[in-house]
Amino acid sequence: MDQFHHLWPFVRRYRRRLLIGALCAMAATAVAAMIPQIVRFAVDDLNTRGVVLDRLLQYGGLLLLTALVEGVLRYGQRTQIIGTSHLIDFDMREALFAKLLTLDQGFFTTMHTGDLMTRVTNDLSAVRMFLGPGVSNLLGSMLLLLTAATLMFLTNPTLAAIVVLLLPMAAVLFVVIGGRMRVIFRKVQDQFGEISTRAQENFSGIRTIKAYAQEDAEIRVFREANERYRALNLRYVLLSGMLWPIIGLMLGAIGAFVLLVGGRMVAAGEMTVGELVLFNAYLAQLAWPVIALGWTVDLYQQGAASLVRISEVLQRRPAIASPPDAPRDFVVRGEVEFRNVGLRFSYSQSANGDSSAHPASAPSPHAQPSVAGASEWVLRHISFRIPQGGSLGIVGATGAGKTTLVNLLARVRDPDEGQVLVDGFDVRTLPLAALRRGIGYVPQDTFLFSVPIRENVTFGRPDATEEQIAHALAVSRLVNDIEQFPNGIDTLIGERGVTLSGGQKQRTAIARAILRDPAILILDDALSSVDAHTAAEILAGLRSIMKGRTSIIIAQRIATVKDADQIIVLHNGEIVERGTHRELLERGGRYADMYRRELLRAELEEE
Amino acid sequence: MSRSQFDDDEILGKAYDATLVRRLGVFVAPYWRRLALATALMFGGAAVELAPPFLVKQAIDGPIAARDPAGVLPLFGLYAAALLAAFGFRYGQTYIVHSVGQQVMVDIRTRIFSHIQRMSLAFFDRNPVGRLITRLTNDVDALNEFITQGTVALLGDLVRLLFIVITMLLLNWRLALISFIVFPAVMLASSVFQRIMRGVYRRVRQRIARINAFLNEQISGVLVTQLFNREEQSRIRFAELSRDYLAAQLESNRTFAVFFPLINFLSVTAMALLLYFGGQAVLADVATLGMLVAFIQYTDQAFQPIRQIAERYNTFQSAMASAERVFRVLDTPATVVDPDHPRSLPSPVRGEITFENVWFTYDAEAAGPDGSGLADSDDRWVLRGISFTIPAGQAVAVVGATGAGKTSLVSLMARFYDVQRGSIKLDGIDIRELRQAELRRHVSAVPQDPVCFSGSIASNIRLHDDSISDEQVRRAAEIACAAPFIERLPGGYEYEVRERGSNLSVGQRQLLAFARAIAFNPEVLLILDEATSSVDAETEALMQEALARLIRGRTSIVIAHRLSTIRHVDRILVLHKGRLVEDGSHEELLAKRGYYYRLYQLQFAEEVRG
Repeated sequence: MDQFHHLWPFVRRYRRRLLIGALCAMAATAVAAMIPQIVRFAVDDLNTRGVVLDRLLQYGGLLLLTALVEGVLRYGQRTQIIGTSHLIDFDMREALFAKLLTLDQGFFTTMHTGDLMTRVTNDLSAVRMFLGPGVSNLLGSMLLLLTAATLMFLTNPTLAAIVVLLLPMAAVLFVVIGGRMRVIFRKVQDQFGEISTRAQENFSGIRTIKAYAQEDAEIRVFREANERYRALNLRYVLLSGMLWPIIGLMLGAIGAFVLLVGGRMVAAGEMTVGELVLFNAYLAQLAWPVIALGWTVDLYQQGAASLVRISEVLQRRPAIASPPDAPRDFVVRGEVEFRNVGLRFSYSQSANGDSSAHPASAPSPHAQPSVAGASEWVLRHISFRIPQGGSLGIVGATGAGKTTLVNLLARVRDPDEGQVLVDGFDVRTLPLAALRRGIGYVPQDTFLFSVPIRENVTFGRPDATEEQIAHALAVSRLVNDIEQFPNGIDTLIGERGVTLSGGQKQRTAIARAILRDPAILILDDALSSVDAHTAAEILAGLRSIMKGRTSIIIAQRIATVKDADQIIVLHNGEIVERGTHRELLERGGRYADMYRRELLRAELEEE
Repeated sequence: MSRSQFDDDEILGKAYDATLVRRLGVFVAPYWRRLALATALMFGGAAVELAPPFLVKQAIDGPIAARDPAGVLPLFGLYAAALLAAFGFRYGQTYIVHSVGQQVMVDIRTRIFSHIQRMSLAFFDRNPVGRLITRLTNDVDALNEFITQGTVALLGDLVRLLFIVITMLLLNWRLALISFIVFPAVMLASSVFQRIMRGVYRRVRQRIARINAFLNEQISGVLVTQLFNREEQSRIRFAELSRDYLAAQLESNRTFAVFFPLINFLSVTAMALLLYFGGQAVLADVATLGMLVAFIQYTDQAFQPIRQIAERYNTFQSAMASAERVFRVLDTPATVVDPDHPRSLPSPVRGEITFENVWFTYDAEAAGPDGSGLADSDDRWVLRGISFTIPAGQAVAVVGATGAGKTSLVSLMARFYDVQRGSIKLDGIDIRELRQAELRRHVSAVPQDPVCFSGSIASNIRLHDDSISDEQVRRAAEIACAAPFIERLPGGYEYEVRERGSNLSVGQRQLLAFARAIAFNPEVLLILDEATSSVDAETEALMQEALARLIRGRTSIVIAHRLSTIRHVDRILVLHKGRLVEDGSHEELLAKRGYYYRLYQLQFAEEVRG
């Protein structure tokens, strides 16, 4: 029950609606309980033959009227209570999404996307099902049960006792069989998982299967897994097929019992026929609500478990955030300095793959040394300074730490050692939004959204004018490509639109970054899929617009960085060479070697 | 074949499609006996369910009216018997129908799976694994729904309704006609409700799908959003999508909020009508009081089948859509097929390989059956007129830059694809004239990304070939240098390998793949050797040792990425942009100072330096 206090802030807003819903439920129950009473009087009147036509008309009219009123009240109950659960669902979804947007990369690397999606969709649904149908049922069932029981006891205590004692058996049956069903169902699901894993493995490894001519054997194994699934499913059906018939049998038995005992009473003159009919009518009315009580238990359990998973996200505090005392009107000018920066190995090791182990209070999980104490450094002793308007080239093998290094600047992560300074301030003291606004970043893995190209390009600058857009497209050499798309710049990207080539994607990302008119431009291997000639053109274009602005360029190709004011060579997380292109070539080290091989490759490709 | 052939997850089927139903019928037909039994049980159930209201009438009009308490007991006995019988019939029917459904699912699933097994690799290149899995899982499940909900159950609803109507007419046609007044209203309300809900559900599904797609993208691209200060806009967009979803949900809720009370109202209306008109009949002695009570119950009983018939529509619709998708997979013809009259390889197989002017493209459709659809200069050719012969027992390395056609060459030798022009021969016989199973018994490929399957280590070596003994598995592991690491694992050869071999290192998986190749002992071996950076020096040395043992005395084609690999072979074929540009031994080619020489400088020289 404890987890439900997280729910209160969301429920509070709708107190009034819920109150109205509850009132509707109460009134509806009271009205519904009248219907059997009316039937009873009608039957008794008919039985004693004292009835006149007017009375029959009255009874009929009264029945219709109560049913009409009940209908309206039930409508109110449903739209208010269950409707509110949808509103709460909406609010929580919004809150979850807003929270996700503030969380750091450390969080996202420890959580699978699928898992997060489940929390925002399925888990939220489970909570809503409890809040809506669950609460509504619970309320309706309890009220009806109480009212009907009272009225039945007033009419005939013996029969009432039979009904009130036996009816819960139906709910118990539901819970017991339902519980057994869940146990077997889990096995069924597991076996189903095995089938789909089998198929998945087979399809993914089809080369191996075919290479060893194992198709027939695979089919046999697949069939066997399916047969096991079938066998388990039959065990499940044995129960699930029984559930409703046996509840029907139970209710029928209670009805029969009422008929037997009541019938004998009526025959003995201790009770009227109308009263017997009344009991039958209440029995029919109560059957579903009582069973629904069992269902509500189920909804509660699932809802509670899901709520825990949702709270984990909602209560999570971002490891990277603006400091509260950050200056308000900061604008990045573009001076960058790294002072003896060091960074330990990533989040995933230290987080143990379980985010829930890190409640909101833990500062930043990846700042802790890893479990074994063996702190491996991704980066160490990194120091350099780029004056405002200067340029830095970074080269190094895959895994040398280049991307990690530039990530520190925009505070994708914070260093474990040393300081990263922008305009002389430690980035951790600056307002996050202002810091990032000053940076134009073209990441290594180009990520574009499946929206029109225009929206992708203006992503960081929604207010850009047509000229500005045109200029950005020209510099990134995207103009000609766009002309070939069906709707030009308004062409949708992605599955439902055009699929861009790697180079086109990278150039879109470049346009997106330069349109921000940033004080600092970072190109992280952003020209790798662009052919050498176009890359050179883009670089030339960039040089003109980047005048007076700071740029950091990471590249595999020396040609991309060779004009930078200074170039550093990273190896195993440390700077092993630094200088201008010319200086580095003269040194004849790693950099010179890379350059030589690059020329060779170009020569080979030209054949 | 067009790329979008299976992009049909959005098919919205008709509720009934005669062709599809007939094709589904083929799967159900073998079990007609069981279905017939279920149908018989269904008739029995529908009949005994009529008894309870009638017995109530008998009790009220008989012993109760006659003030005879003892007379109630026999009726109670009959009542109880009817309930038990109804339970038995219903339960039996449900169980049998479901068991048939399960059996048919096994059949259909195995059928789809078998069909997919026969497809060439081109099929797998085109269809993402996830989509194929969906065919096997969700779509087959929808077909099961069709069997369990659509066959006997649908008939059952109709029969039950018919039985109730007939009984009411027989008991008292006047009262029956009064009751029937509400039936059309229930039917109308249900079908209107179903129609509205169909639209509403579609909107709910669509909108949640949109939320999911957006969410997925936003989570994947959250860094970009953060770095470009776009959190606010994302929030706004998400709220829009979420609000659309909310609107659909509320619409659905409102529809229910109207429908359920409406049905309840109709039920009470029937009661009121019966009381008013039926009451007059009772007063006029045309009907009895018990009859009136029984009719109230019959009327309620009739509501359920009427409502369910309307609900079945949705089940049918989704089942038809699934059936269409499933049959589309089943109707895809295999492109690499066994010949009608296969030839067999001479025994023993020597392992001589000949490529004769081989042209190949992955765009088989554009090339046409004889490869005349594409000009020689077309970019889409991956291999352009490759010819060479590898005598039996020779080990050959294929080198070249990325995209030179190395992997394609090996894939063709294993007949994962068919060539468009020219031919590939094994011991002088065109491999297209052999059965694939026979070809692959003699030609094995060790793939680039060593694949492991969940199961024991031993089963990863012998796969499902039980003719390979434990002893042979062990020996193969030893030759492949895999035995030391296997024996260190808990359980040794019985150690459970997890999905995709995630609990083994890359190097271990590679060694396992080698062991597998040795266990199958083929005459011709194709190896895609990947320079894996994640392998430590010790494992690297083991792999080289294993590779050397593997190719000894066997015709082998190795795609080499490492200098050390090249040292093991007799001859090197150099590919460049789909053509064979150089052919000779390592020393000869280096001496030539041609393309290989420079490639060597680029790819392998660094290793020499260390």
